[in-house]
Amino acid sequence: MRDRSRDLERLAELLVGFGANLQPGQLLGVTAYLDMQELAREIVRAGYRRGARYVDVFWWDHHVKRARAELADEATLDYVPPWIGDRFRWLGDEHAARIGLTGASAKVFDGIDPARLGRDLLPYVGEIPVLVNERTTNWCAGPCPNAGWAQRVYPDLDPAEALEKLWDDIVWICRLDTDDPTGAWRERMTAIVASAERLTERRFDAIHFKGPGTDLTVGLLPSSTWLGADFTTVDGTTHYPNIPTEEVFTTPDPERVDGHVSATMPLEMYGSFISGIRLEFEGGRPTKIDADVGADGLRAAMARDDGASRLGEVALVDREGRIGPLETVFYQTLLDENAASHIALGNAYTFPLEDEADQARANRSGIHVDFMIGSNEVDVDGISADGGRVPVLRGGSWQL
Amino acid sequence: MAALSDAERCAQLIVEVGANVQEGQDVEILADLGTEELTRAVAGAAYRRGARFVDVVWWDALVKRERLLHAREETLDYVPPEFGGRILRLGDEHGCRIWLIGNPIPDALAGVDPARAGRDRMPRIEESSTVIHDRSINWCISCWPTPGWAAQVFPELPPEEAFQRLRRELRHVTRLDEPDPAAAWRTRIAELTAVAARLTERRFDALHFRGPGTDLRVGLLPSSVWGTGTFERNDGLECLVNIPTEEVFTTPDAERVDGVVRSTKPLEYTGSLIEGIVVRFEGGRAVEIVADRNVEVLRVAAAKDDGASRLGEVALVDGSGRIGPLGTVFSNTLLDENSASHVAIGSSYVSGVEDNADRARANDSRIHIDFMIGSPEVDVDGLDADGNAVPVLRGGAWQV
Repeated sequence: MRDRSRDLERLAELLVGFGANLQPGQLLGVTAYLDMQELAREIVRAGYRRGARYVDVFWWDHHVKRARAELADEATLDYVPPWIGDRFRWLGDEHAARIGLTGASAKVFDGIDPARLGRDLLPYVGEIPVLVNERTTNWCAGPCPNAGWAQRVYPDLDPAEALEKLWDDIVWICRLDTDDPTGAWRERMTAIVASAERLTERRFDAIHFKGPGTDLTVGLLPSSTWLGADFTTVDGTTHYPNIPTEEVFTTPDPERVDGHVSATMPLEMYGSFISGIRLEFEGGRPTKIDADVGADGLRAAMARDDGASRLGEVALVDREGRIGPLETVFYQTLLDENAASHIALGNAYTFPLEDEADQARANRSGIHVDFMIGSNEVDVDGISADGGRVPVLRGGSWQL
Repeated sequence: MAALSDAERCAQLIVEVGANVQEGQDVEILADLGTEELTRAVAGAAYRRGARFVDVVWWDALVKRERLLHAREETLDYVPPEFGGRILRLGDEHGCRIWLIGNPIPDALAGVDPARAGRDRMPRIEESSTVIHDRSINWCISCWPTPGWAAQVFPELPPEEAFQRLRRELRHVTRLDEPDPAAAWRTRIAELTAVAARLTERRFDALHFRGPGTDLRVGLLPSSVWGTGTFERNDGLECLVNIPTEEVFTTPDAERVDGVVRSTKPLEYTGSLIEGIVVRFEGGRAVEIVADRNVEVLRVAAAKDDGASRLGEVALVDGSGRIGPLGTVFSNTLLDENSASHVAIGSSYVSGVEDNADRARANDSRIHIDFMIGSPEVDVDGLDADGNAVPVLRGGAWQV
């Protein structure tokens, strides 16, 4: 293993200083899996150096979750200990900064009944989307290379090589190879925000995706605006909730989604692996839910509440970003969703909607599951209210 | 069926004989990073017993180190509210708490200003004591070998040998080397219970410790009763709170402690190793505290509140326990306190006195720090109200 201490330090600094944009005197909540100890500690160090009042690390272990999925009484699987939600409410009340590390491998769940596993969404809890919509916390999700993840992405390499390769990918994707990663990100965000503004100006009535296995129209709300992933809290702190981010996104009309769609990449959803998703929609609701692998887990999640089977997000990704050209499936939404255009089942962000009447129409759910439907072979058009069509993406390139 | 691993046998012992996990209970495990093998096995064993949810709170001494090195002085007392709230709620629901010690990074606080270290009590916060004192939870503390701990205990051995030695010794002291560890523990607890009953019958007015550097009288209360590691929850559920345990203990008179006492083993407290402690007591109060190393940590703790400089516990350990004869200094209270007679400054167990009037006189504090004062060279006498002495321990052997 190469010495990654400089990469760890630069990644931690990027997540704390740029992504979450921690302010002096703030609390910092960190969610990390057990095999992410080095990066978590670097983040703690960077947090205190920037004047954090307290850094609270919430460690999560999928092996313990596996023990539950395997052994606990069926009737208890929905139970969520109240303190986990309390902790997020506390971070919200305190206007804290938050960082979540992703990259945990779901391999540990091999052999577990997906229907049982699908009922336990931890460490995700319903308080998280509430916090996001309240905009009280400045937060960031970032990737943490680890051995389990590396073997998942590069099963043909030996474990040490796989981890080196994944680290190299992350260094590239997070622009840690540049002299000034923060400066590089500011530049990329400027370009993304400009694309979002051009899309918003068009005031499309719907977005149409057409490609192999896909012919899907996603209606937008009258005041849907397109955004890049730069957020501002109620206190006026700008933060970048995803490192990396390459997407522009908006909140669709949950009642006007029609046609069929095939996922272009597999995904891991709350620890379950799902590939070959095929959905058919009518009037915003799925009339068919299918997948090559993990269909039961997907159906269980989509049955979780009323909004779990409707769309809460539509996002476009061009191929100018650093993830798509690697043509690698990372099995992590944070990376994969930024490689390709995608839609999300479940909870919607209300802030892309300018009118309160539209905000009331945005989808509500306890889940939010992104899955990738874009590729260079999927054409994207904007449809105006009078039915006119405008090319938006062709071969992965912006047409606007 | 495959033979159970050491971790699985240890987990069974902790869950069934130690914490006595009940069907439908929530179980919180406070686990040092480094104890994953045992902690996951305990989670599995608890779910097999019907636990509703096993909540693992992982503790990382290196995260604490970053705080003590870098956080602003005035923030060091801060304790996140959900950390204590969770424990109190566990009490409200008659939950179960298990603490697994691995001491993986013994020098985590090396170079940290001891006065700063003394201000951060995490994770030993007062709510941990509250739920024990109101006897609302069943609980157990146990341990698991880690390479870091092994290197601290056996610095003269090569790392792998040190680890194997610690592993062997912990198997021995937890009686996992017995064909039926649960039965072995029942036998030992029966012996200790008989000794405790005999000591209670004598109704000593005080204990007198005499040995190298020690001449200390510890007054007892009229209704002081001697107990063992067996703990009764307020609804009658029994558990064995330490594995291993070899002590009998009682609650002393907080106002009648006089003389000088020298510690016979180093004391580990919140990550700092305190060695060569000498404390002079007058009228129950520690009026002088010196030590060869890290005395500040102890002084800061003893100044925490009014009861922090008075005794809350006195305990006797005979030489027939399994820890003392090893001659090993584990630098950890769970093991070392069970190798030797000891006293504790700070809070007392109300179960150590029978009369309500005496309960009001038992010491109260937010801290509880055991330090070892016994050895085969320290004689212990019981004194009756007239000052007549009766031998209690000679050369580590019971005389009662």
